[in-house]
Amino acid sequence: MNWAALSVELAVCGWILVMLTADLVLPTKHRGSLWALALLGIACAAWLLAQQPQISVAMPGMVIVDPFARYFKGLFLLTVGVVIVMTRTSGRGLPNTGAFYILLFTALLGTLVLASMRDLLMLFLGLELLTFSLYVMAAYLKTDSRSVEAGMKYLILGSVSSGFLVYGIALLYGFAGSTDFSVIRAALDRGPWPLTAQAGFLLILAGLGFKVGAVPFQLWVPDVYEGAPTPVVALLSVGSKMAGIVAMLRLLTGVFLPAQAVWAPLLATIAAATLLYGNLGAIPQTNLKRLLGYSSIGHAGYLLMALSTGSPSGSAAIGYYLLAYLFSTLAVFLVIVAASQAVGGDRLDDYRGLSKRSGFLAAVMFIGLLSLAGVPPLGGFVGKLLVLLATVESGRLWLVAVGAVSVAISLYYYLLVVKRMYLDPPASAAAIPVDGLTKAVLAALVLGILAVGIVQQPFLRHIIASLP
Amino acid sequence: MAIPLPLLILLAPALGALVLCMVGSGRDALVRRIAVVSTSVSLLGALLAIMRYDPAAGGYQHELLIPWITAPRVAFHLGVDGISVVLVLLHALCAFTGVLISYAIKERVKEYYVFYLLLITGVFGVFLSLDLFFFYFFYEMAVIPMYPLIGIWGSDVKEQGVVRFSKEYATMKLTIYLTLGAVVALFGLLWLYVSSGAGTFDIPELQRHFALQPLPETLQRWIFPLLAIGFGVIAPLWPLHSWSPIGHAAAPSAVSMLHAGVLMKLGSYAIIRVAIGLLPAGAHAWMPVVAVLCLMNIIYGGFVAMAQKDLKLIVGYSSSSHMGYVLLGIACLTPLGMSGAVLLMFAHGIMTALAFAIIGAMYDQTHTRYLPELGGLAHQMPFLATCGVIAAMASSGLPGFANFVAELLVFLGGWDAYRLQVVCGVFGVVITAVYMLRFVRGTFFGASKPAFAHVHDATTPFARLPYVILIGALLIVGCWPQPILRIIDAGTRPLMLLLSVPQ
Repeated sequence: MNWAALSVELAVCGWILVMLTADLVLPTKHRGSLWALALLGIACAAWLLAQQPQISVAMPGMVIVDPFARYFKGLFLLTVGVVIVMTRTSGRGLPNTGAFYILLFTALLGTLVLASMRDLLMLFLGLELLTFSLYVMAAYLKTDSRSVEAGMKYLILGSVSSGFLVYGIALLYGFAGSTDFSVIRAALDRGPWPLTAQAGFLLILAGLGFKVGAVPFQLWVPDVYEGAPTPVVALLSVGSKMAGIVAMLRLLTGVFLPAQAVWAPLLATIAAATLLYGNLGAIPQTNLKRLLGYSSIGHAGYLLMALSTGSPSGSAAIGYYLLAYLFSTLAVFLVIVAASQAVGGDRLDDYRGLSKRSGFLAAVMFIGLLSLAGVPPLGGFVGKLLVLLATVESGRLWLVAVGAVSVAISLYYYLLVVKRMYLDPPASAAAIPVDGLTKAVLAALVLGILAVGIVQQPFLRHIIASLP
Repeated sequence: MAIPLPLLILLAPALGALVLCMVGSGRDALVRRIAVVSTSVSLLGALLAIMRYDPAAGGYQHELLIPWITAPRVAFHLGVDGISVVLVLLHALCAFTGVLISYAIKERVKEYYVFYLLLITGVFGVFLSLDLFFFYFFYEMAVIPMYPLIGIWGSDVKEQGVVRFSKEYATMKLTIYLTLGAVVALFGLLWLYVSSGAGTFDIPELQRHFALQPLPETLQRWIFPLLAIGFGVIAPLWPLHSWSPIGHAAAPSAVSMLHAGVLMKLGSYAIIRVAIGLLPAGAHAWMPVVAVLCLMNIIYGGFVAMAQKDLKLIVGYSSSSHMGYVLLGIACLTPLGMSGAVLLMFAHGIMTALAFAIIGAMYDQTHTRYLPELGGLAHQMPFLATCGVIAAMASSGLPGFANFVAELLVFLGGWDAYRLQVVCGVFGVVITAVYMLRFVRGTFFGASKPAFAHVHDATTPFARLPYVILIGALLIVGCWPQPILRIIDAGTRPLMLLLSVPQ
């Protein structure tokens, strides 16, 4: 056991206890500043992450730290940090934030474990830590029936998918005699792949497909996005999706690479269906969070498209895409959090004339949405370009056509939001105040979007160096 | 000189937009001044670039190359050849006069100029880029600012007071059409990049690579239509043109100027630079099809323009009709036709910008563009009426204007290959004369109408400046086309060499 390699996870565990104690000890009037303590915890974890050596084994055969894990751990920490800023602004809506932060940290712990896992059991552990926290957080507004409904739906469908995952793990264990990745890989390399092992693989893929919102396991996404508290939706949209993709990337390019002929066409088909479902489904939506739910399905389609190539350039594209997606999505959700009190709801029409009420919020939303649509000079463009390029290299041109057309479709519904914000007259003329910290974080996210979109080389070099 | 010219031209509007973001709201005069300064820097840069371009040496000049990404290899490669240096000047002229015309914009001035300068930056970027990555980067960047520009500051297209196309509809249609075209072209570009095996997005480098190892002809035949259709949407190639007239009509006048004057030329330029420049065998295979389609542009567009009653729709359809000549010139794949096409891009761009500027100045005061409601405006605005007559004459291809020279070259260049198209094209000039004369008669001539008694002319030298610049450019090139043709020729010559190589 190498404790130093586990320092980030241990720090997060420790901080859970700190938050728990602080929640108990702090007098009520100071509870409002718990967010600062939570941010401090993220900062500590990030510092520890920076101190870690490039490669180390934490638990032999179970958990390792490699550049790939460190890259994604950094992204997870960043995501949770921004989500904490969101809870601060929407704190009036969230009762008992102390307990919320504890759940946020357990979810974070789950994602950190996922980034480092070398064993199917760790995969299960990490995913369940993440999703169990999310079940509770989705239903966190106990008095809001939509939030409870969202939590309930997520719980039921999520536990079914966990069942798939466990069953798949059991079947693979029966095949290889171990849950260790290297043992399974060795067994695969040795020879024929029995039907049970194939079934096990497919079941695991189904379980992970649920987490990223891939067709045909995507039905929960719009409902949960609509009902759950906005900071939780942001975490679901970025953290949970990224965790699922990271796990898939580890499994497909690490363990199951010899079986590429089996899963590549399957993933390509799923990717095309996911792209079309998400992007076409978003068009008629009238609720902004629901629309973003559908659009997040579309983004899962692009990520699966890159996964289906199984090539290093596909993996690099995923790394880049997720970075741009993180900045853009978090910026959009932070604007929603900052504006929701003033505009009074999540309907698209509530955002009418936002540019006149707060030019800053509208501009950030504009940039975030266009980056999601893949418009240069914003980050999302480069991510999409790399994904399409990797897919052309893999020779699956029909999939490229689907992906390219989806860009134009997605631009349509993102522009429908822009139309509300810029073209339509506002319902009320009252200006929307934005506090300093939110403004600073939004500005930083926009800078991130622009940096990823314009100076690609440093990011790309780092990502390529981090590939497993 | 410290800063390379292309960088100066490109960065001036971009920095202008950035500075505008920092200017406090409500300081409209300052905002306008910044926009004027940044576009005039670009205009000076463009003039210097064309004056310093050495047609005898030819090839790409004023180059700037900064390695950007190592894998896939992308470089921030700027430069101009004889074709693009002329189009850069066209864009700089339209952008500068457009900023002056935009003094008519009175609300949300700062936001307007930010989007307008971003649009200008994007278009400069396309003409200046010699790397496919940045070419596409700027191309898509030029499309998006159109959405808010038309949506916020545009106007609905009305007929007898009834809205025929709302500006929201027009702008969404335009954006989606152009983006759809762009992604189809992107598909083609990526396919081209991967199958080249050169591992670079650099256009001159790809051309050198293909000179040694040309792409298989079947592959060229597959990729060429993707590029031709993708870029053809913005050109606008019939039957993908339907976004353009209503887009022109709904846009504020300065945006219509850029849009019809320059943006449509992005498509024809991209077809020359990328599709023909990199896929000569594909061009030989597909150009007869394009020649038939652009005949539809000329004739169909001309007839539809004749039937319109909204002034901007007339000029809008006439633009898609005249772009048919440009595409016909390109489709000839002969030196004369190609040079004519490039010169026509320049001439038509200036002429259309002039027409939209005049219509915009009129509409600001009369609040109608509906032909039956107009008339007799020459009494109130003699200067603008004169400009309008000049624009109509230029558009109809009267000798003395650049359009005449360009159209003549296209017809001469196409005579051997596409005799039918040329005959019909000459007939198209007659159609142009019909609707342009209708426009002039219905708007400026006739008895003075009391409803327009309040209308006044552009009287100050500052207000007249944009019209003078545009008419001056048309006349100078029309009466003395030799210098500019020499430069264009320097750009088309290498293309012809490429096309004449037996595949």
